[in-house]
Amino acid sequence: MERVVQLQIPARPEFVGIARMAVGALAGIRPGLAYERIDDLRIVVSEACTSAIEGMEDGSNIRLRCVDAPKSLEVRIEAPEAAFESAFPKDEHEPDGDNFRISLIRALVDDADLRTTAGGAELCLVMNRDAASDEDDEDLPA
Amino acid sequence: MDLGLDVKERNNWAVLSVQGEVDVYTAPQFREQLIQLVDQGQRSILVDLEGVEFLDSTGLGVLVGGLKRVRSHDGDLALVCTQRRILKVLEITGLTKVFTIYDSVDAAVGGQS
Repeated sequence: MERVVQLQIPARPEFVGIARMAVGALAGIRPGLAYERIDDLRIVVSEACTSAIEGMEDGSNIRLRCVDAPKSLEVRIEAPEAAFESAFPKDEHEPDGDNFRISLIRALVDDADLRTTAGGAELCLVMNRDAASDEDDEDLPA
Repeated sequence: MDLGLDVKERNNWAVLSVQGEVDVYTAPQFREQLIQLVDQGQRSILVDLEGVEFLDSTGLGVLVGGLKRVRSHDGDLALVCTQRRILKVLEITGLTKVFTIYDSVDAAVGGQS
């Protein structure tokens, strides 16, 4: 069964920790993601929110939509398109020595995809759950 | 969310122990502390990451900035880290080849990696 959890935070540095804490807690509710992978997800959420903040005006909000499914956890982060430019440059050149964000995002999640939306852009981060978690899904209350 | 920063001197090293979460919110404090150490004339800086619970690319940027700054004064900045989750971030970004990483403060100030 798929569950959707939505979170909106002010686009300010002090709220990034809240976003990664919430996503980390959600990732641990259903089996299939080891602690190490939840840590990886927390890092990637932090990278994505930081990237969004750098490209957003003060007073804006970042919307996170988490789709918690038996086989995967998807975190979709919405922001103006320019917000993710540093993490996903349009011309696919190699990141310079100081741009570690893109390396971490690409290495730590199973899939990272930037989509254009009516409101700007949506960065979709996917963590696949272990196969064994399919059976455990029945234990969750509806 | 608080960041703990504590500086001690040992065998001509300035040992900066970092505790807590290093991200876009707390990184400015960390950056300021490293700049202050270099400005005070410290040329051998050891950043102890054993108390760090979270580190993202913002924190990595601070470490690299600190290294560049101290090297421009012919100094060096090394790390103490045994935590798998932090080492993983350093490995992915290629920084294990850039920093000398020690298992403990004692190993560093005694010169053993």
